[in-house]
Amino acid sequence: MTAPATLNETLAVALARSFADREVGFTGLLTGAAAALFGTGIPLAAMELAKRMHAPNLTILLAGCYHNPDFSEIDRLPDSEHSAMLRDLPCESQMVDYPGQFVLKRGDVSFGFSSAVQVDRVGNINSVCVGPHDRPKVRLVGPILQPEHMTLFRREYVMMPHHDRRNFVEKVDYVSGVGYPGGLDGRRKLGLDWGGPCMVVTPKCLFDFDREAGHMKVRSIHCGVSRQELQDATGFDLGDLSSIPETEAPTAEELHILRRDVDPRGVLMPAQ
Amino acid sequence: MSKAPLASKLITLAEAAGRVPDGCRLALGGFAVYQKPMAFVRELIRQGRRDLTIIGSAHSFDVDMLAGAGCLKKVETSYVGLEKHGLARNYRRAVEGGRLKVVDYPEMACWDRFRANQDGFDFWPAKFLGGNDVVTYNDEIKEFPCPITGRRLHAFPAANPDVVVIHAIAADEQGNIVTPARRLLPQSGDVLMARSCEHVIVTAEKIVPKSFIKRHARFVELPSYRISAVVEVPWGAHPTPTLGRYLADDTHLDAYVAASASEGTFAGYLDDWVRRPADHFAYLDKLGAAQLSRLTDLGSLA
Repeated sequence: MTAPATLNETLAVALARSFADREVGFTGLLTGAAAALFGTGIPLAAMELAKRMHAPNLTILLAGCYHNPDFSEIDRLPDSEHSAMLRDLPCESQMVDYPGQFVLKRGDVSFGFSSAVQVDRVGNINSVCVGPHDRPKVRLVGPILQPEHMTLFRREYVMMPHHDRRNFVEKVDYVSGVGYPGGLDGRRKLGLDWGGPCMVVTPKCLFDFDREAGHMKVRSIHCGVSRQELQDATGFDLGDLSSIPETEAPTAEELHILRRDVDPRGVLMPAQ
Repeated sequence: MSKAPLASKLITLAEAAGRVPDGCRLALGGFAVYQKPMAFVRELIRQGRRDLTIIGSAHSFDVDMLAGAGCLKKVETSYVGLEKHGLARNYRRAVEGGRLKVVDYPEMACWDRFRANQDGFDFWPAKFLGGNDVVTYNDEIKEFPCPITGRRLHAFPAANPDVVVIHAIAADEQGNIVTPARRLLPQSGDVLMARSCEHVIVTAEKIVPKSFIKRHARFVELPSYRISAVVEVPWGAHPTPTLGRYLADDTHLDAYVAASASEGTFAGYLDDWVRRPADHFAYLDKLGAAQLSRLTDLGSLA
């Protein structure tokens, strides 16, 4: 008998179903076990699954540079973006300069994945600081590529390895990636041509966006998470959750392909 | 008729660091935790440099070490962190304590700032900064109408380094710099930075004869006239890697990270690894041949 889907598998499948054929998907190399799983491992598994299902022409950009890498001969997820290991990882195209293969500012990248310390109701994300910018309580790493992810990519998946009130806040302390302040119209007024977050993925639920109104809404709640627990872990009002469905489980076929072909050795999504 | 000898640009590490005055706007090459000119950084600390502004694309042990040694006034970049080794704790303490100012730029904008200098512009335009707090906290980013369409754009300032320092595999005494064919983003970023400024110092793993340069002419992306000075510094990026020569020294980096837990313990690290060794070769002796030999990266032979 097949073991039931794990949360990681369920998330990978939910993501995979949302990718279209011929798209280009960009993932960075996040570090730290939880962030690496959410920001890199699950997205890679999702893209590999989509390629084997409905999207054979999807292009994967590992660490933003390595096109359609071959994971068959590695035994762990790479953890260094520009190291000898990635230089030697077989792939179809290797970007070694900026500007490079994908034309970032013309919108070549269909979707990306980012992680943040804070995300707010309108989908702004923050990886710069907690507290005032000139004298922060906590200084974080900086904006990195988040400004580009949230505006130049066609859409963005915000991958949050922790779902807690300190991560899901009413207003982020610093906007390093722009969501939908003022909705789609608000983005237009800011001069942003396309892009923005399409989904926020957490260990408790999936959010998507009312883009016109400019706020996230719970799309589904993961199996075993109560509505009260979800609201209690979120720093802003989620509204009426009574009609929100449970996150859809993978089909037998999806699970089979995921386990047999995509990640048979647990390289992308290590067993917990 | 005798030919005049070629001018040598070879100087010592101490002389090279001496060309970076207090208060300098210094661009440090490499990217994040890769191929950082760390021997140069250590020499700046030995010489007690103060009030530096560091400009670049993504930073790690370079900025963290300088912050821990009190050498910095300002950092203009997209990232300061240690990737798999975690947060940059000396840097965090300095910023959280109000001793170090950070000007945050998006990663690609960091590169574009050097492209602006390369093209002789004072700014680079962007369409994607609306709504981002990168603009809110930076008076130097200005809104302006596109002169063709009237569309509102942002102009962010060129990097404007006073001095650029990068670490390379090989150079000759005249300053011809070899960037191997098997390169990745950090090495290409170094080439861009070195084309953005008239004062470029290159620390090189090896000073090679002209015959070596001639055999690798198509990889000499930085010809001698672009380079002010070269320094022979084997293992000069240690403990960060130099692609094609050696890998990151994770053992040393773990010890560094442990030492950075507090100002006190980090002062001990600086004494042991930076101030007490008389020079870079004393540092290498302290590391030991066995430790260094474990880091060799054979790269690709084809």
